Amino acid sequence: MTAATSTRTRWWLLWLGTLAATTVLMLLARDRLDKAHVALVYLLVVLGGSALGGRVLGLTLAATAFLLFDVVFLPPYYRLQVADPLDWIVLIVFLITGVVAAELLERQRHEAEVARARTVEIDRLATLGAETLNAPRPEEALRAIAEVIRLAMGTDRCDITLTHAMLDEMTPSADAFELPARVRRIPLEARGTTVGTLVLSSDRPFLLGPDQKRVLSALSYYAALGVERVRLASAEDEAEALRHADRLKDALLASVSHDLRTPLTTIKGIANEIARGGDPDRAQVIEEEADRLTSLVDDLLDLSKLAAGEMEVHLAVNTADDVIGAVLQRVELAFRDRVIETELAEPWTDLVGHFDFVHTMRILTNLLDNAAKYGPAGSPVRLRVWREGDELRFAVEDEGAGIPAADQDRMFEPFVRGRSRPPGISGTGLGLSIARRLAEVQQGRLTYAPTTRVESRFVLSLPAANVPVAEPSP
Amino acid sequence: MSLGMPPAKPIILIVDDEPQIRRVVRNALDEMAERILDASTGAEALDLAASAEPGLVVLDLTLPDMDGLDLCRDLRAFSRAPILVLSARQSDRDKVALLDAGADDYLVKPFSTAELQARVRAILRRSIGSRDDAADRIVVGDLEINLAHRTVRRSGIEIHLTPTEWGLLRTFLTHRGRTLTHQQLFHAVWGQVAGDAQQYLRVYVGQLRRKLEEDPVRPMLIRTEPAVGYRFELAP
Repeated sequence: MTAATSTRTRWWLLWLGTLAATTVLMLLARDRLDKAHVALVYLLVVLGGSALGGRVLGLTLAATAFLLFDVVFLPPYYRLQVADPLDWIVLIVFLITGVVAAELLERQRHEAEVARARTVEIDRLATLGAETLNAPRPEEALRAIAEVIRLAMGTDRCDITLTHAMLDEMTPSADAFELPARVRRIPLEARGTTVGTLVLSSDRPFLLGPDQKRVLSALSYYAALGVERVRLASAEDEAEALRHADRLKDALLASVSHDLRTPLTTIKGIANEIARGGDPDRAQVIEEEADRLTSLVDDLLDLSKLAAGEMEVHLAVNTADDVIGAVLQRVELAFRDRVIETELAEPWTDLVGHFDFVHTMRILTNLLDNAAKYGPAGSPVRLRVWREGDELRFAVEDEGAGIPAADQDRMFEPFVRGRSRPPGISGTGLGLSIARRLAEVQQGRLTYAPTTRVESRFVLSLPAANVPVAEPSP
Repeated sequence: MSLGMPPAKPIILIVDDEPQIRRVVRNALDEMAERILDASTGAEALDLAASAEPGLVVLDLTLPDMDGLDLCRDLRAFSRAPILVLSARQSDRDKVALLDAGADDYLVKPFSTAELQARVRAILRRSIGSRDDAADRIVVGDLEINLAHRTVRRSGIEIHLTPTEWGLLRTFLTHRGRTLTHQQLFHAVWGQVAGDAQQYLRVYVGQLRRKLEEDPVRPMLIRTEPAVGYRFELAP
């Protein structure tokens, strides 16, 4: 502000000085000068002052020059009277010309300023358009838009939210813009509906000028488009999830029609045999088939819970030997002639993790069952546990041939059974996909990790936990 | 541990709204009971439990008129009869809530007749045998635990236990054969305010197993009930 004032003062001094100087110079040559010469020289000064110093200076110069013209150059000299009435015409025309020139120049300057402001606006909108289009992700585009708006409005913060602010928190009417406020909320509209909120805030109360308000309405249109883009992207993700669920459903129907009907047919057949006086020992088969159905139903329920993201996860500090003990208790009866060799790294207090006990049991049980199914008869199955940095690792190994490369990618997909599956081995084809997802819901990983020594090897990695050294011995 | 005299047969109350399940359970338990009563609603079950004083209640969790968990608490309020819960729900939280509400054991549907009979036998043996629980000296294989003297010996050689390990072992022994939830164990060993000790229960159990069990990953004494708690078994 002070810089502008001093510039203006300087223009005033300069042009009033010029007027005084020309008056003195012309006074020296007054006898040889015509009225037209004086009028032209004064007009030049008025035009110069108007162009460089603005309208007020121009009008002041015109009025002063008018008086000087009358008093100094029109007889009788040094009086306001004019001897020749025709000289009034010269004076009035001079005044009108000066005033009109000052006005015209002012209008010209205003238009130039408006044009410059427009250029700045267009620049901003162009930047905004570029930012919006260039951002690879919709959320980043929205952040970029918010930053451009923040710069254009000169506020400390600008946020764009996808939620609707409460109606009474909004700044809907033009009147509300006339009062200073720390926070302003502007509803964002796209295609006639409110899609989000633009929140401008500063540490101090602020006002928006008319230009800013106009720019804001253009910018908030971009913000609304940005919000729409984010919404569409999430709708796209949702559509992808739906397509995935649809594929799963198709596979499920195929599986259900085969894997559920087969045991049901057996059950029905044997029940009928027994009813007609058949061998009652065959009832054992009914029980086995019912068990198969039960595990299939459990798998399907778990898979649907995992797919819907509704699987309960209870993360807690658990020890590897506790979970292995519970797993062995469950599977060793079914292993019969197979031996499970366990190998736990020392010290055992390092083998502590932050994981879901039941889910981990389920994963390890599945891996051990698979190892028993696919490993050569009579060969041992190995279960190793060790700590690797922040991870607790469980490896299940058998002496089988491993997984063919063609199946390695697909075997963690639901309903996929290895092509090389030996005949007579039953399974729902859900075990590994459930196991992998169960590992993931507890921030772990399940991978197929063959080594040069062992081809058939799966590794479960879970987050490790550190426990303080337990109670000292007294 | 010897059981002494064969126990008298109890009255068993079956509570289930499905007639088919009631029939299966009745047939399975017929030989173990003096008499079998059944109820298809919670209200009926409460009436029968009060008038007939059964020695065991087999209770289905989903009943038409009330929640099985509430019924369990209501029964516990006046009856000491052991409760075996049958449930189609597999949620671990449900299991824990049931045990905390006073149920003695639970069985998830579908279950086999043999499994049901085994569980009922175990519960009955425990409720009859609870009078011997005061025994101070317990011998399992080459392990000898003397509660009165606070000593544990393996083949005559004393094994040292820390105070927390002792607290844990004493709790297990006084409730042997019964599944204790994590919560029940915290309360018994660390008192009401468990604090950080809660998450280290598993570590203390691991430590105790390393001192008592022959193979800590194949425990025979301190058995894990996944997501629910632990159970101390003297009869392998």
